[in-house]
Amino acid sequence: MTGRPTPRRTTTTALATAVAGTLLLAACGGGGSGNADDGTVELTVGLFGTFGYEEVGLFDRYEAENPGVTITYESTQGEDTYWPALQTRLASGSGVADVQGIEVARIADVVTNQADLWTDLRDTPAASAIGNYVEWKEPAATTADGAVLGLGTDIGPMGICYRTDLLGQAGLPTEPTALAARMQTWDDYVALGREYQAAAPAGSAWMDSAGGFYNAIVSTEQEIYYDASGALVHDSNPAVRAAFDTAAAAGQAGLTARLEQFVDPGWDAGFASGSFATIACPSWMIGYIKGKAGDAGAGLWNVTTLPGGAGGNWGGAYLGIPAASENVEEAAKLIAWLTAPEQQAEVFASVGNFPSTTAAIEMVGDATDPWFNDAPIGQIFSASSTNAPVQILGPQDGVIKSAMVQALLSVEANGVAPADAWTAALADVTNQVG
Amino acid sequence: MTATLERPPVTPATRVPARGRLRRNDSAGPLTYVLLCVTAFVFLVPFYYMVVAASRPMAEMNRTPPPLTPGPDLWSNIAKAVESQDIGLALLNSTIVSGVVTASTVLLCTLAGFAFAKLRFRGRSALFAVALGTMMIPPSLGVVPLYALMANLGLAGELSSVILPSLVAAFGVFFMRQYLVQALPDELLDAARVDGATSLRTFVSIVLPIARPGMAVLAMLTFMTAWNDFFWPVITLNSTNPTVQVALNNLGSGYVPDTSVIMAGTLVGTLPVIVVFLLLGRQIVGGIIAGAVKG
Amino acid sequence: MPTVQRPVPGERTAPPGAGTPWRARLFRVEERSAPYAYVAPFFLLFAAFGLFPLVHTAWISLHSYRLGSEMEWLGLENYAWLLSNPAFYNALWKTFTIGVLSTVPQLALALGLAHLLHYRMRGRTFFRVSMIMPYATSVAAAALVFAQLFGRDAGAVNWLLGIVGVDAVDWRNGDWTAQLAISVIVIWRWTGYNALIYLAGMQSISQDLYEAAALDGASRWQQFRHVTLPGLRPTILFTVVVSTIGASQLFGEPLIFGGGKPDGGALGQYQTLGLFMYQQGWTYGSLGRAATVAWVTFLLIIVLVLVNTRIAKRRAT
Repeated sequence: MTGRPTPRRTTTTALATAVAGTLLLAACGGGGSGNADDGTVELTVGLFGTFGYEEVGLFDRYEAENPGVTITYESTQGEDTYWPALQTRLASGSGVADVQGIEVARIADVVTNQADLWTDLRDTPAASAIGNYVEWKEPAATTADGAVLGLGTDIGPMGICYRTDLLGQAGLPTEPTALAARMQTWDDYVALGREYQAAAPAGSAWMDSAGGFYNAIVSTEQEIYYDASGALVHDSNPAVRAAFDTAAAAGQAGLTARLEQFVDPGWDAGFASGSFATIACPSWMIGYIKGKAGDAGAGLWNVTTLPGGAGGNWGGAYLGIPAASENVEEAAKLIAWLTAPEQQAEVFASVGNFPSTTAAIEMVGDATDPWFNDAPIGQIFSASSTNAPVQILGPQDGVIKSAMVQALLSVEANGVAPADAWTAALADVTNQVG
Repeated sequence: MTATLERPPVTPATRVPARGRLRRNDSAGPLTYVLLCVTAFVFLVPFYYMVVAASRPMAEMNRTPPPLTPGPDLWSNIAKAVESQDIGLALLNSTIVSGVVTASTVLLCTLAGFAFAKLRFRGRSALFAVALGTMMIPPSLGVVPLYALMANLGLAGELSSVILPSLVAAFGVFFMRQYLVQALPDELLDAARVDGATSLRTFVSIVLPIARPGMAVLAMLTFMTAWNDFFWPVITLNSTNPTVQVALNNLGSGYVPDTSVIMAGTLVGTLPVIVVFLLLGRQIVGGIIAGAVKG
Repeated sequence: MPTVQRPVPGERTAPPGAGTPWRARLFRVEERSAPYAYVAPFFLLFAAFGLFPLVHTAWISLHSYRLGSEMEWLGLENYAWLLSNPAFYNALWKTFTIGVLSTVPQLALALGLAHLLHYRMRGRTFFRVSMIMPYATSVAAAALVFAQLFGRDAGAVNWLLGIVGVDAVDWRNGDWTAQLAISVIVIWRWTGYNALIYLAGMQSISQDLYEAAALDGASRWQQFRHVTLPGLRPTILFTVVVSTIGASQLFGEPLIFGGGKPDGGALGQYQTLGLFMYQQGWTYGSLGRAATVAWVTFLLIIVLVLVNTRIAKRRAT
């Protein structure tokens, strides 16, 4: 059994507990809120960021439709603080909620290393929901033994978001279809960038960052850092190297604004100020752009498909039930309901998380966004999700991606030669993973 | 006990000529005012900028150049922050945590600091070295075992799990020791001994009054440190029973953390500390002056 | 009960309050045991909530340990990994440079500031409270604000530099510029804190000394050098030790400056040891390696503090 304390650990913990306990004297009474036998159930739900359930009022509705069930919802804004805290609690076997959110970048780790800490949903009332998803969503949450550890919430199909005003000023097409017609491949995208750069307003680059560009390219690939057997291929996969070189060349050519995504405050400001004209955007970034550019930015932005209409995915999440939960049955009913197509469509309409079940995707297919010049975002993102490959995910994806993005930033911002940056990135990965 | 102990044997008044202190050429000149005003400006500007950011929509702060005056949205941003997180409960919890931690730290550290500064006992330097050594442990290091410990005690998620590890701090022991080494004259202790005072008696009637300025400073610093403590509370507490920093960590909504709302929440979370200082500032600062009794 | 080796000040005379033998004995017992009772709460609490995590961390550092997985015995492999990892030496060096860049000006400024605040003046409370405001502000808010101020495209600092004709600086991505920006945040946050500590120390310096110096015709500067500085020695020593420790554990400011990511920039140009450990443990999930970093840091700090204390002592004498 992994995850359980080894005997030695138990002894030392017990010893420390004894010391601490004597200090506490009788100060602490036993708390603990077990569930009564009278049919009432208290479910706890722990999520990060915004899944939209609380915002749409789904918890209240579920409580109303299921008398006896009460839901306590706790949230952490940042996934980067949420996950370590959850891991600490999982390891100690206490303090976890009945339902916990899992970001897609963590799912491979969960599937590979923590199968015994999570409930296999095939044995629960949630089993019937497993077949409802776009074809690649649930395999990612399935272990080698076939256990399904999470139900998908949203996904992150991708498009290209761009500033119509800036493209217009540089004499490039501003209509989504016209622009898409000029971008059949990523190389076309870069070529358009060179054209843009020649005529662009001062202080405006074609795209935000080389790292973001790289990430967009590899997000359309099936095999990225791992092959189907689960072996690491980040250094030998030609697709990775090609994406790296393409992005590095764009950075060297000055097509990037050298703004690290989600880190540099200048990146946020750039959505309003126009320091970059295009960005590869997953569905959830739509809301981000609106928020950062504000009302003043309405009508300036538009969305088109990835070059050649390629499908891709960046982000999304799952709901899982920790094995330590005492309310597996009820928790499973709750997550099956929360991730059902009707609820997914409602969440999309309210907070913009793109649905992951095929039925819900059909429901939102004709959605448009007035802020983005009435761009047919439903259609663009549906197509992207349908065309997306069944990505092979691995437990160290995050480490490798971060090393690549960092290396590319050193190319565009610090003038490091692409070949040296590549070598440095591989050395970084080896040091961490190898 | 003898009657002489009702008062410290040597009263400060006899040692410090009351008016003599003013004789020092110690009024601030114009240059001092200029320098202090510049410093105060530098110290307050980021805070002012926080007010600006909290009072405008997020997108406006992304304008070039960014706005320099407060906007009209302060109340609505605060309302959003309060709506999204239970700020009231968080303020109450933080007050409890910081209050208990401060009271306990100041008392226990003064005791220990006094012992290390002025009492001789076997193993003193070794014990002091160990106490100092504990300061060098990186704070984020022990969280995993600490959480397991708290979970075993059934305290995970409770305020006590945040309070217990902070009840005393090596920093405070070290601080009070250094303060008392300097501020507490040996002659006073000798005199008390001659009068037959037990060490506890000496502590209460001689050490505490002299230690007051140091204790006041330690109290301020401890209160703020506890108030702003973040790493461990985020791990052990959750949003249903948060401290201010845990609640602030959960602010913002959607995939777009709304910086304006975060700033507004931070403002609300910081104001109580500042109000306390403004109200107590005179007393605390006064205490520092009044307590300067060494002759 | 351990015996007292050296006499307590004043032990030559028998306490007059202890007339009867049993009283005298009681008095002596109280006197000998009291110090231990005074320091006991600290050590007991530390044993419960500090020692166990510390020892347990040493144990973890000998294993490969991911949260949620079983520990696997590695012996000293983690230490070998760390000592052969260029990223570790980079973090060590950055911790040192940022430490020097932030600590030295911070303590010097704090001393000067405390000296100014020691004067009698109008608006004293305002100045003292404003001084402590940075520390009252959470690191997160401070770093957010400073990240804006040091922005490349629209930051106030570059705007000011632009006025005097300096080109926009990419603070975040440059090597020294990023370290400088972080040092500024640290200095801003901790100067008032240290000034307050110095101020408390200054209050306990005898006024007689100042008067005597004034009678001898000493200027303010000479009073500062010959009365204040020597009187503050224990306090200065204290702040040097605490700041050294603080600098070696620097974590919050660079983490938030890096947008919550512990990479410390494209080249790791502001990755401190604290960030490096955080990255190992919480970003990569290798708790065994994080524990190793922590222990090596711990040992390094002890050496550093010893060296520093020695230097500070020599300086002061």
